[in-house]
Amino acid sequence: MQSKLTDIELIQRTLKGDQQAYALLVKTHQRYVFTLAQRFTKNREDAEEVAQDSFIKAYKALSSFKQESKFSTWLYTIVYTTAMTSLRKRNTASIALDDENNFTQIANATSTWDVNIAEGRSRSFYLSRAIEQLPPDDATVLTLFYHAEQSLEEIAQVMGIETNGVKVKLFRARKRLKEKLEENLKHEAKELI
Amino acid sequence: MNNMEEKLWNYIDGTCNAEERDAIALLIAQDEIWRNSYQEMLTFNNEITAITPDEPSMAFSYKVMEGIRAHEAIKPLKTTINTYIISGIAVFFVLSILGIVLFGFTGATQTISNGNTVTNIHLPDLSVFTNSTVMNVFLYVDVMLLLFFADVWLRKGRNNTKIKSVQN
Repeated sequence: MQSKLTDIELIQRTLKGDQQAYALLVKTHQRYVFTLAQRFTKNREDAEEVAQDSFIKAYKALSSFKQESKFSTWLYTIVYTTAMTSLRKRNTASIALDDENNFTQIANATSTWDVNIAEGRSRSFYLSRAIEQLPPDDATVLTLFYHAEQSLEEIAQVMGIETNGVKVKLFRARKRLKEKLEENLKHEAKELI
Repeated sequence: MNNMEEKLWNYIDGTCNAEERDAIALLIAQDEIWRNSYQEMLTFNNEITAITPDEPSMAFSYKVMEGIRAHEAIKPLKTTINTYIISGIAVFFVLSILGIVLFGFTGATQTISNGNTVTNIHLPDLSVFTNSTVMNVFLYVDVMLLLFFADVWLRKGRNNTKIKSVQN
């Protein structure tokens, strides 16, 4: 059985013209790239578009990847830039955290719930929902740190800021996430009563 | 930032130095407020870690590869031409010109008349290459080459159409 190829080996094969190798790279990283894009776009369709654009951009620029960092860090930098550009284009950057529509959505969703279903929902479901409601930068820091396994230095590289800035952002993002989670859970409890 | 929270997060993330780590560990062991906060934050940390990232649609990687294939297809001609071929042609012409110039100068003779130096360059006699037989052979070879490459090009086009129709 063929052993799993590393990112670097797949990149070298891609540069020699093997497109199947790049397809494997896409498969390896698509979940994290998509999740990261979703932190900005807040919907699946736009996130897929951003993620696709990012992979195509990465393919075009693959020969310029110097292997000074992890491939994933380099890729997330492209995703971050692409998502920021897309966000500016769509002019949705002004969506406020306390946007009433966000809460209307939650209320509509819960109103159709059965109590048993609600009880069955895990805390991780509410956490995911709370992350979706955070500003893009907060959600990005959390996603990169907890799910994409990036160090503070690597996150700094992706976001183009200082490492200390990432530390502060991460601290604030966790705080906001906790507040948002408690707020949402309180809201759910009221709905169920 | 809250000092205790900040220190505890640094402790959980492993971003503090050995001295700070030992001091925080001692506080957690001895102080109940610190211990409770630490437990609460650790649980929260584990909960965030446990969230699974979303999956894109099933056709996602196919769409990406389609996008790449489309990009490859519209690649400008200049990027598909092998630059070595262009360099080779340039080198051929430069060497030919240099060769002719050198040949001309090596066969050159100098005469002095009335105090002035006159250089006579004797170029090779090319009339042998421009008689009617040589020209006819040259044109014949050209026409044959043209027909050969036209045939190759037409066959290639027909084969591509067949492959596409089979794939569809």
